[in-house]
Amino acid sequence: MRPIFSKWRNLVPLLLAAALAGCVAQPGKPAQPAAGGGKGTDFSEWPCLSYTLACGRTPNRKPVKQALAGPLGGDPARGKVFANERSKGNCVACHLIQGAEQPGSKGPDLSAYGTWDRSDAETYALVYDMRWRNPDTVMPTFGVNQILNDQELRDVVAFLQSSK
Amino acid sequence: MAGNHSFSLHALALISLFVMAAPGPAAGAGAVYREAYPRAAIDPSRGIGGAGDADFGATLQYWQDEKSLEQHKQWIGDPEHEWKLNWKFLDFDRTDDMHPGYLALEAGEKLFKLWAKREPAFRTCLGEGKTDLKGLAATYPKYDPKLKRIMTVEGRVEHCAQTALWETFKQGSPANNQISLYFKSLSAREPIRVDTGSAEIMQSYRRGEKLFHAKVGQFNFSCASCHTSSGLLGQRFRGQVPTTPFGDAAHFPTYRLALGDIESLQQRFMRCNLQARTKALPPGDPAYTDLEVFYTVLSNDYPVSVPSAR
Ligand code: HEC
Ligand code: HEC
Repeated sequence: MRPIFSKWRNLVPLLLAAALAGCVAQPGKPAQPAAGGGKGTDFSEWPCLSYTLACGRTPNRKPVKQALAGPLGGDPARGKVFANERSKGNCVACHLIQGAEQPGSKGPDLSAYGTWDRSDAETYALVYDMRWRNPDTVMPTFGVNQILNDQELRDVVAFLQSSK
Repeated sequence: MAGNHSFSLHALALISLFVMAAPGPAAGAGAVYREAYPRAAIDPSRGIGGAGDADFGATLQYWQDEKSLEQHKQWIGDPEHEWKLNWKFLDFDRTDDMHPGYLALEAGEKLFKLWAKREPAFRTCLGEGKTDLKGLAATYPKYDPKLKRIMTVEGRVEHCAQTALWETFKQGSPANNQISLYFKSLSAREPIRVDTGSAEIMQSYRRGEKLFHAKVGQFNFSCASCHTSSGLLGQRFRGQVPTTPFGDAAHFPTYRLALGDIESLQQRFMRCNLQARTKALPPGDPAYTDLEVFYTVLSNDYPVSVPSAR
């Protein structure tokens, strides 16, 4: 059945050069973690899979239904940026939201969330930690695990409420 | 290539952290609050068969053999359907007889032959006493009663380099990946046969299954959150679509275009951990070894599919 398509073909000369330049003989070099790089990529303060490291015994943070203190006071424009930004909220990884490029397909369409008649408080609590509503959710625990701080959460909620 | 001291036999460099695959305390033991993603039922005796179940996307029919792949090749490049092929169209020479996996394999063969010529004990160590290595890698991971631990292909290469060559080919290093790839290629197209009749293997499998479901990291994700159908399997997620865990172990070590190098299965675990903001463990870590046993049992009966490129 070959070749179905050839995405490698034009790369081969390049790679061959790289191989000749010494990839045959680099025994013993330790593996580099490929993703991340730079600061904040250790993550050992969060639970991990290790049997020996401390993070292997770090508990998950328990589900909380966080109350919204005071008025929302969020900035929808900033919220829109966080919601679409990979390093921040990245709501777009799972939801269709306003301004989305390459939206994910797992979560419900939130592009008209502002018409749903949800209170700021409930929305804040859901984004803070979805687990109080659904313990088996795949939505990240944005507030509890400090992926977004309080103001960023308020901004994101303001963005959702402004999505009409 | 400058400063290459790697072919010297540095005698006492053996005091490397040589992690034992001894059963550790399972994550979540004791009173610590640990969450797990709901378990989908997996029957380890079915091997690759479980990939036909809806809990894992029911994709087996599309990639289980050459004929199935051929019948669905129109999905290649189609974002709606491509994930259902489990990327198996990128194994061997199905897309190209010149892909970089072949270059990596060539490099591995050269390296292996060089060392085996210099020190024949390297070959017999890999062969567990025999010189013929054909078909052996398809039985990995396996319990080694002499060493009293679970050995992966990469673990065996590291061990044999240490004992026969007095060299440190750490798991995850280019040398280890290349030789492991060559070793596995000597079982290419042989069905994977992890011994599920072995008590030690099954204990490791159970630990690995538990790790697969453990919620970890800043995102509070388990492997299952992304690689099962109740999670993100088959869903568009950050421009990617997570696929079934079945059959994955068959094509590693694989050439990763994005990395410009080959990577082992456990290096892929590292990347998935990091992606979900979780502490990554070093290749050869006992927890990753258990995960690899779990993953490879989920590839049982599928042919060893190297070289491959992703
Ligand atoms: C990994 C995928 C994922 C990411 C990332 C994600 N969500 Fe969700 N979200 C979901 C899923 C799945 C649901 C459906 C509810 C459930 O899981 O119980 C959901 C539900 C919601 C709901 C409730 C909708 C309803 O029907 O009541 C809101 C609000 C929401 N998400 C907001 C956000 C925001 C804001 C972000 C980014 C800060 C975000 N989500 C990021 C997966 C995700
Ligand atoms: C945030 C989602 C996510 C999490 C969590 C995650 N993965 Fe992945 N994984 C992916 C994506 C996306 C890919 C690339 C698409 C594919 O082939 O599945 C991938 C690919 C893989 C592959 C390579 C598949 C192949 O065909 O080459 C393996 C093996 C793997 N993951 C194992 C794991 C293990 C083990 C864990 C838990 C330690 C894990 N993943 C956690 C998203 C995830």
